[in-house]
Amino acid sequence: MIEIHKKLDLENNGSAERWEQQIRKGALEMAALAALWSGELYGLEIIRRFENSSQLSLAEGTIYPILSRLKNEGLLESKWVEAEAGHPRKYYRLTDAGRARLQQMTQTWTEFSRELGTLIKPVIAAQKDEVTK
Amino acid sequence: MNLQHQQELEIDNYLRRLRECLPQMSVADREEIVREISVHIRESAQETNSSLDEILARLGSAEDLASEYGQDALIRHASHSFSPVLILRATVELAKRGIEGLALFLSALLGYTLGGGLVLTAILKPIFPRQTGLWIGPGVFDFGLHEPPPVYPAHEVLGWRYIPIALSFGWLFLWVTTLGVRWFLRRSRSRGSIFARNRAHISANAGTLA
Repeated sequence: MIEIHKKLDLENNGSAERWEQQIRKGALEMAALAALWSGELYGLEIIRRFENSSQLSLAEGTIYPILSRLKNEGLLESKWVEAEAGHPRKYYRLTDAGRARLQQMTQTWTEFSRELGTLIKPVIAAQKDEVTK
Repeated sequence: MNLQHQQELEIDNYLRRLRECLPQMSVADREEIVREISVHIRESAQETNSSLDEILARLGSAEDLASEYGQDALIRHASHSFSPVLILRATVELAKRGIEGLALFLSALLGYTLGGGLVLTAILKPIFPRQTGLWIGPGVFDFGLHEPPPVYPAHEVLGWRYIPIALSFGWLFLWVTTLGVRWFLRRSRSRGSIFARNRAHISANAGTLA
């Protein structure tokens, strides 16, 4: 019986992890666009920005295919710039379509968070109660 | 930090595997990806105190990285292709992402099976003339290759006309399936992320709120 419970716990943890990964991956496109809102950046700078200003830890290889896809969709444009460091860097910047898409995403995200926040309010309250006990 | 010869070999090996695993795309696109990843590795090594192994581990395996690029490239390539194999592979990829993709895959499979089946039976008609055709009778509507053929009161109605008719309908199914799936693939690419999918809904909501 205990083994069955342990197995169920492991399965639950596994599906919770998968869910969290999906959420992070889904949000990554928006995060990449948002990182470029203020100006152009190259790949490593975008990764550092994620690390410094958000909880978005990720396999670094994940970001480059996303940047490539966003560029193919016409949301980003890129150019190679010679750098003092010795290696030319590929800088990305938002196109007008990219800015429009990011604004749409932001609106959707805000709306979605607000609706979900209302739904999970009782869960948060219960968790607070448990902590205070 | 100067990279040692051994490390350079390790980087070259990683980039070679990446190049090999990258899917169908132009040489220019492939080399640009390899170049960007190469710069990432070398700059990370200069910028941080991480070892090369740590940098490559954070990047993920060359095969996984190529696969991430590949999924998008496959869909992009298929959305402009007339190859049923390529188009079906792209729909398989979309089927892994959700119910809409699964529906597209099943529709493509049905369309190609029906179209391909009709063309095949048209080709087989001269070889199996009695077993191939369109049979109609009380409660019977059957076509294709049947061994043994349906019996009386069902009877075959097309004869040798089956060949041009089956060829025409077969090609029509193949053509419509190809164009339809390509349209969906292009649509799925242009819509981008899950957030864009709710665009109409959100705009409507925004309008209501305003």
